[in-house]
Amino acid sequence: MAAVTNADVEAVDFDPDDDDLMDEDATEPTPAPAPRLRSTIAGGDDGPRKKGRGFRDDHNSAAAPRDSRLAGAGRADFDSLASDGGPGPVRSIEGWIVLVTGVHEEAQEDDLHNIFREFGQVKNLHLNLDRRTGFVKGYALVEYETFEEAQAAIKASDGTELLTQIINVDWAFSNGPSKRRNTQKRSPRAHRSRSPPRRRY
Amino acid sequence: MATGAGEDGSGGEFYLRYYVGHKGKFGHEFLEFEFRPDGKLRYANNSNYKNDTMIRKEVFVSPSVLREARRIIQESEIMKEDDNNWPEPDRVGRQELEIVMGNEHISFSTSKIGSLVDVQTSKDPEGLRIFYYLVQVYPNSILASHHHKFHCCLSQSSVHCFFVAVLCVLYIT
Repeated sequence: MAAVTNADVEAVDFDPDDDDLMDEDATEPTPAPAPRLRSTIAGGDDGPRKKGRGFRDDHNSAAAPRDSRLAGAGRADFDSLASDGGPGPVRSIEGWIVLVTGVHEEAQEDDLHNIFREFGQVKNLHLNLDRRTGFVKGYALVEYETFEEAQAAIKASDGTELLTQIINVDWAFSNGPSKRRNTQKRSPRAHRSRSPPRRRY
Repeated sequence: MATGAGEDGSGGEFYLRYYVGHKGKFGHEFLEFEFRPDGKLRYANNSNYKNDTMIRKEVFVSPSVLREARRIIQESEIMKEDDNNWPEPDRVGRQELEIVMGNEHISFSTSKIGSLVDVQTSKDPEGLRIFYYLVQVYPNSILASHHHKFHCCLSQSSVHCFFVAVLCVLYIT
């Protein structure tokens, strides 16, 4: 599919006159390129449960119409990393980014460096912490210079174990929309319960 | 809510949009990003400081990124909150968080939150704290208005915001 033509972007734009994208009382028949969100979400018998000022507010109070922000007049101005071809990994401005999920909450940056430097020089590594708990949040972002290094890292370390947990390693960015697959990759991730019961204090 | 698709962070619909901004002497300065169900990530950042123009970027994220985003939203329990008792957006600024996940759709807005003190002294500290930890964009991590480019300080690994981290690795400048 044409990666990001103007028309493509436009098709999923917020309609400025219909700010509440999924508002059920938006009865006005929107022309064909209705936002996918609406059709998918509100298509069912029972609409989504809605909460928040965003459904009540006069949107004039918003600092500016949404249309002029994310999807403003200068749509062509969107810089896009996606170029051509079908879905596949895409490079960020600096390098090839690999997402690691299922990272043990007590993992250290060194643990990840030890794994991922085997495949090439790790230009950047992010291991973010949960600000509330101080533990690792569960993901890491690893950056390589070349596609081959990143690909090797994904191939070799996806599904391997780190501190008793299975990690999943995959590309972070893609050059096309992800198709909804029923066969969503759900490799043996027995670590769903990894998070300690700490949400409420 | 009945445990349906999406509760485990895999199936169902997912959409997330975050906006923070204000109007001031440099015009309408804001940062906004959204993750769409098909993986399209859009980002816009505007400041008129030194006649800067709006920066807009978009890219597709992999299904893995979307899954992780879901997981983080799920575990935060933000969908259980309500912005009823949160500070109203004001002249200092406005934040908006809109999420569709499974059969729930939130569209919260509140003022800018300077620090945890603002959270503690609010009428809903527990709920606001969840919001704060989930999306708070730290002034020195991005949206430094004197940096006309999207500026992330990646070395601040203690800063947690998955969404911003994804943006950071994309557009580190």
